[in-house]
Amino acid sequence: MSARPALLVALALCAPPAAAREVVAVKAGTIHRVEAGEVVRDGTILIEDGRIVAVGANVAIPPSARVVDYGADAVVTPGLVCADSTLGGRRGAERTADPTLRAIDAFDFHAVHALTLAEGVTTVYLPPARGRLVAGQGAVVKLAGRDEASRTLSTSAAIHGSIGADARNTPGYWQPPLPATADVGMGVEQPQLPKTLMGAIVALDELVALAQGGEGAEEYGPETGPALRELIAARRPWRLGAATEPEIRALIAFAREKGLPVVVDGAHASGEIAREIAAAGLAVVFDPPIAPNSGGRDFGKDREAVWPSYSAPVRLAEAGVRFAIAPPDDVGASELRFAAAVASRGGLERSRALRAITLDAAEILGVASRVGSLTAGKDADLAVFNGDPLGGASVVATWVSGEIAYQGDEAKAAGAVVISVEELHLGDGEVIAPGEVLLEDGRVRAVGRMVGRPQGAAVVRGKAAMPGMIDAFGHLGLEGSTKVPPTRFELARLVEPGDLADRRVARAGVTTVVLAPRGASKSGAPMMAYKPAGSEFERMVVADPAALRFQWTDKNRLESGKAMREVLAKAVEYKKKWDEYQKKRAEWTPPKEEAPAAAKDEKKDGEKSDKKPEAEGEKAAGDKKDADTKDAEKKDGDEDKKDEKKKPKKKGEKEPAKPVTGAWETKVTIAPFSETRLRLYLDDVDGAVEGSLRCAALSDDLVAVAGTRKEHDLTLTGEGTRGAIELAAKQEDGKLVGTVTLGSTKAQFTAEQTSTEYEVAGRSERRKEQEKKPERPERKGEPKPPATDPDLEPLRRAIAGEGAVVVGVEREDEILACVDAFEAAGIKPILLGASDAYKVVDKLRGRVAGVLLSPRVVQIEPKTGVEKRNRYEEIAGAGIPVAFHSAAEEGAADLPLIAAYAISTGMSPVDALRALTSGAAEMYAIEDRVGKLEPGLDGDVVLLDGSPYEASTSVVRVWVDGREVR
Amino acid sequence: MKRDAKTTMGQAMRKTFVAAALVRPAVALFLGGAALAADGKIALKVGRVITQAGAEVENGYVVIDGGKISAVGAGVAPPWDAEVIDRPDLVAFPGFVEAHTSRGMDRPNENVDVAPFLDVRDSIDPISFYFEDMLRAGITTINVQQGPQTVVGGQGMVVKPFGMTVEQMSARNASGVKISLVPRPGRSRATQAQAVRRAFTDLRLHLEKLVKDKKDGKDTARREALFQGRDLDKEENKKGRAMTGNATWKVADLEIVPRGEIDEKQEPLLRVVEGRLPVFFQVSDAAGVHLALEIARSNGFLATTTLVVDGDAWKAADVVAEAGVPVVLGANLLHVERDPVTGKEIETFVPKKFAEKGVRFALQSLNPPAQALWFQAAMCVGHGLDRQAALDAVTRVPAEILRLGDRVGSLEPGKDGNVVLLSGDPLSVRSRVEYVVIEGRVVYDRSKDVRMRHLIEGVEQPNAGQAGVEAASDPHGGHGDDHKDPVDDEKKKTDKGETPPKDDGEDEKRGDDRR
Repeated sequence: MSARPALLVALALCAPPAAAREVVAVKAGTIHRVEAGEVVRDGTILIEDGRIVAVGANVAIPPSARVVDYGADAVVTPGLVCADSTLGGRRGAERTADPTLRAIDAFDFHAVHALTLAEGVTTVYLPPARGRLVAGQGAVVKLAGRDEASRTLSTSAAIHGSIGADARNTPGYWQPPLPATADVGMGVEQPQLPKTLMGAIVALDELVALAQGGEGAEEYGPETGPALRELIAARRPWRLGAATEPEIRALIAFAREKGLPVVVDGAHASGEIAREIAAAGLAVVFDPPIAPNSGGRDFGKDREAVWPSYSAPVRLAEAGVRFAIAPPDDVGASELRFAAAVASRGGLERSRALRAITLDAAEILGVASRVGSLTAGKDADLAVFNGDPLGGASVVATWVSGEIAYQGDEAKAAGAVVISVEELHLGDGEVIAPGEVLLEDGRVRAVGRMVGRPQGAAVVRGKAAMPGMIDAFGHLGLEGSTKVPPTRFELARLVEPGDLADRRVARAGVTTVVLAPRGASKSGAPMMAYKPAGSEFERMVVADPAALRFQWTDKNRLESGKAMREVLAKAVEYKKKWDEYQKKRAEWTPPKEEAPAAAKDEKKDGEKSDKKPEAEGEKAAGDKKDADTKDAEKKDGDEDKKDEKKKPKKKGEKEPAKPVTGAWETKVTIAPFSETRLRLYLDDVDGAVEGSLRCAALSDDLVAVAGTRKEHDLTLTGEGTRGAIELAAKQEDGKLVGTVTLGSTKAQFTAEQTSTEYEVAGRSERRKEQEKKPERPERKGEPKPPATDPDLEPLRRAIAGEGAVVVGVEREDEILACVDAFEAAGIKPILLGASDAYKVVDKLRGRVAGVLLSPRVVQIEPKTGVEKRNRYEEIAGAGIPVAFHSAAEEGAADLPLIAAYAISTGMSPVDALRALTSGAAEMYAIEDRVGKLEPGLDGDVVLLDGSPYEASTSVVRVWVDGREVR
Repeated sequence: MKRDAKTTMGQAMRKTFVAAALVRPAVALFLGGAALAADGKIALKVGRVITQAGAEVENGYVVIDGGKISAVGAGVAPPWDAEVIDRPDLVAFPGFVEAHTSRGMDRPNENVDVAPFLDVRDSIDPISFYFEDMLRAGITTINVQQGPQTVVGGQGMVVKPFGMTVEQMSARNASGVKISLVPRPGRSRATQAQAVRRAFTDLRLHLEKLVKDKKDGKDTARREALFQGRDLDKEENKKGRAMTGNATWKVADLEIVPRGEIDEKQEPLLRVVEGRLPVFFQVSDAAGVHLALEIARSNGFLATTTLVVDGDAWKAADVVAEAGVPVVLGANLLHVERDPVTGKEIETFVPKKFAEKGVRFALQSLNPPAQALWFQAAMCVGHGLDRQAALDAVTRVPAEILRLGDRVGSLEPGKDGNVVLLSGDPLSVRSRVEYVVIEGRVVYDRSKDVRMRHLIEGVEQPNAGQAGVEAASDPHGGHGDDHKDPVDDEKKKTDKGETPPKDDGEDEKRGDDRR
């Protein structure tokens, strides 16, 4: 579509033709030329002035050409040719034979055929009418194009009719006499042939005789003879409907006797007499007996009933008959591919079926000089598919005369990818071979041997695929920092999308990193799980905090575990308090009379938020009243409130300056981009403002901004990918009004506040809820919640089994003591280091969430100094979850190598793969987001060029949140 | 101000109510005192004259003498013996011209497919309420054409909505033949097009047969003509004439056949092909436009064709512009369709599309008198069309389409004395038609419009009982708004009576927008 206005403009300017002719090169992985059955791999179609100039693998593309590359997975065929359609006429004329009826008259060139073009069909045959012996002249048109003339391929493609059952109930012909008087009677209708097959053949004989100048056939009308004579002289084929064997045989005889070209239409029984048809040189348009989008049909239970047969095309192909496949009379042209697929039952080759809906159809319709194959000189009508056109693929784009007539929804297509591989590793040990995974809207939509292909979805093929890998303990994003952040620190603040190193790590297949600080602390150092190459800021953080990092072993061995035990004791105490509170809270029933308490709230919170408390108060008051009156009052109340709100503003009183903390949103237009969303996330502490800005037109990634607020005026600066960004705004009526400047371009905006909190991306919902709890209005007798301690919250969650604790511990005695201590507190810890764990595997089984062994996979037994041990293998083999980790920043990219080495030194590949994916996810309780290929989980997929078990396998492509990382 | 105007008007009405005792049947109503001025001189002195021919005139006269306008202007002195209507509060506007309608007949459609020999004059009903309503809407020239349910319909007629007989009403006979590409029930677009083409093929075959018979010395045609009762000695019937016109086909040697011998069922079509009889070609969609132009071109009557369009015909506006034919737009100016992909409704304002392509177009009344030509023109302005183009589409353009450009469509000396006196701007929803003057006669005077008053005030029937009293005491049926406009209310009532509720709501909404 986009090419079209440009072309029109060029024409309008009357530029010399050579300059106006745009050259387009369409590239695709597979091109079915159809001509001579040729298939071109990685080929190019060169288009000039709406026509194909060249097709092939080695076509030289002129430098001025516009290149449209559909990629290696795209399949291009000629625009499909539907040898029948419902777009022509339906009602027959009064006469049984009326060759002057023109199908082209029934076609509306202004109608939009997007739904048919969306199925790759570009050319259709128009029948003049149904159910007449000679219904009229069929036509062939294209469904899109510049003007009527270029879209009309043939106004008279065939003498269209039928000798089948549908044509045998033609009513009698009657014309009112003019004038009808007492002397001139009204007359009676004259019966018309045919009522039987016999009659049909008699009538055809009479018509041919009439056309050849015979007399005595006035009943066919005065124009019929001359019109037929012209059509016969022009060698127009007789396209006649015939379904059963006798009907087809009758047509064979008719064709032989008269020496006329005949096309058998419908031809359900043509398979049985394929050889006879071939011998007589007839062509066939086969309608498979399908009724898509409807219920079953009854065929009749008696002996003579004709049950559907789909096998005719195979036999016709074997016999060498030229045939096209078309949907049945009452089924739209958009079902052409489905019809062809069904008609392939019985073993018709795909390539032959494709020819039956392209080149052969075009030849039968007499328009093969323009359409039907990809050959130099023909119209540039193309259908681009995301896979096998007859195997469930959908159309990416349809071209007509060198212009795009249908374009799959690009936004949707970007969100939908089918990854089709020989072996699909789901992450939990299961393998589907071959298998497919569909990513849509950033998530895994479906997994299986074969998945659906939504309209416009891209299909990617490969050897193997697996879930994105998880670095269970890395430092990516710390930027070399060795500081240990306080327990309550939110690591999510460090997250910034668009970093090159992050993308490189992801491209190595590591899509999730559990970020750990380089050191532990007494009250626990926070750890976060995030996706470094996530394209959406909101979804990058998987869990924060994902875990707390502790250290059991102390340099002074006597002190080992002492601090840890204290923290655990505190945590247990804290948990107990909360449990008690929750128990009380559950038992407590709110008193009925609550209005005074609510009123008190109103006063207190009046400034903060004006709506909520009032509504609550009203609710309480309204309890006494009838439901109806309550509603009415509430409405009134709201209106009053609105009025009150408006008044002060009208008077021009300025609201006092407020901190701008929170999220703001607006739209700005910055050339060359169209209107783009601009979002600000700001934290305002006494006028010092910092935060981030997100706007695709200003910068490719999130921009950190900082600045000041003086009273109402806010100034911010930041550095985006396209240069420095300056932002100056004023607070007006709770909105931010100002300008944003990028280099020399400026844009005005008025931003609305969408939230009053400085939300850090992806903060878990759970945590938000907990924070909000105390804000609830206090009510009489309600048990008070204990004070929230953010330092102990993660541990409370860990005790409840919702969070993880990583604890550094080495020696076997310490390991056991540590596990005992945690068990007493009700926590299954993740052991970090744990060099001696292999010695006590039996005592650890079921008591730890997992073990993070040193990245040094193979270690030498210190006692012997010779014996090499693969501890990963030993621990995983004993049924204790393990995970791989890099303990590095961008070194996380080496994670697959670490795993490969573990495998090459004896670890079970299945265990290793699990450790890389679902094992790590389960350890940190983030398996609801990542770690497996399962519907609903994040669309993080790694495409490999071989089995993931092989060390020689490398990562080919990576998707994070359904988007490919490039 | 508003309130005052209303009360004085109300008083005036109450006064005339007494006089209404004299009123007799509907048509006589409009004659009233105006009959006195018949064929006399009349001078209309108004605050504003919109001439539709050059600048407007402030406080000027329109002088009509002998049915024709003799002078228009501010400095014009009215003849001493002229009757003067001196209403400085009124606006004079040329009588609106309705380019095409199928109303005002006893029935709009004929069930014979090809019947160009029919004439709507035999079907027009002078006392139809339709004509009365047209007067109320200020429409003074109406082209009545057969309905679309035909292939080749009868010949139309241009009438004035005033007169006791069709002859009195006539402004022009044989205004054109109706040809329709709107599929009749039981037809498809293709079979309808085929039938239209066949009508011309039949004509050709008939003419060829006449020539052949003549050459063969047969006189069957002559005997048939005499049997049909034609006067073959009449001058125009006596001689033969070679076929003229631009049709792609020709019948050679037609001059040897006296014109009177051509079958009268076929003869009007020959006049169409020769370009002597205009054609109103009705189509219901864009595909029909292509077909109509192709048929008109190949049969030589493109230059005399006016398209009467409907539906999505606007999509073919460029083709119409290229062919250079004028169009009469369907009454529904908004075309609504659904995008087959997104399912979104797409609204198109049809006149704009034609105006953009430079097509000359005329408007049709949607539902007179409430949504008459003024309403349609106002809709155009409301949708951003040029005001002058909108006014032309209800005066000058239809006048030209009807080949009456020298007689109606503007207030200029020499033209027919058809004037509408309005209480305000012709495109204002608050304006009322106060007087209608046709050829110098005051044929409508709102103050004497008994029927309208009945509608507005209610009628106290002798045996009406409670309902009648209620209607009289509260004519506005409880409309609580403070700007009661009698004409508005009257319109609403008419709407409710004649259009489905959905359209009603839509139109009312539009009206509101404009206010």
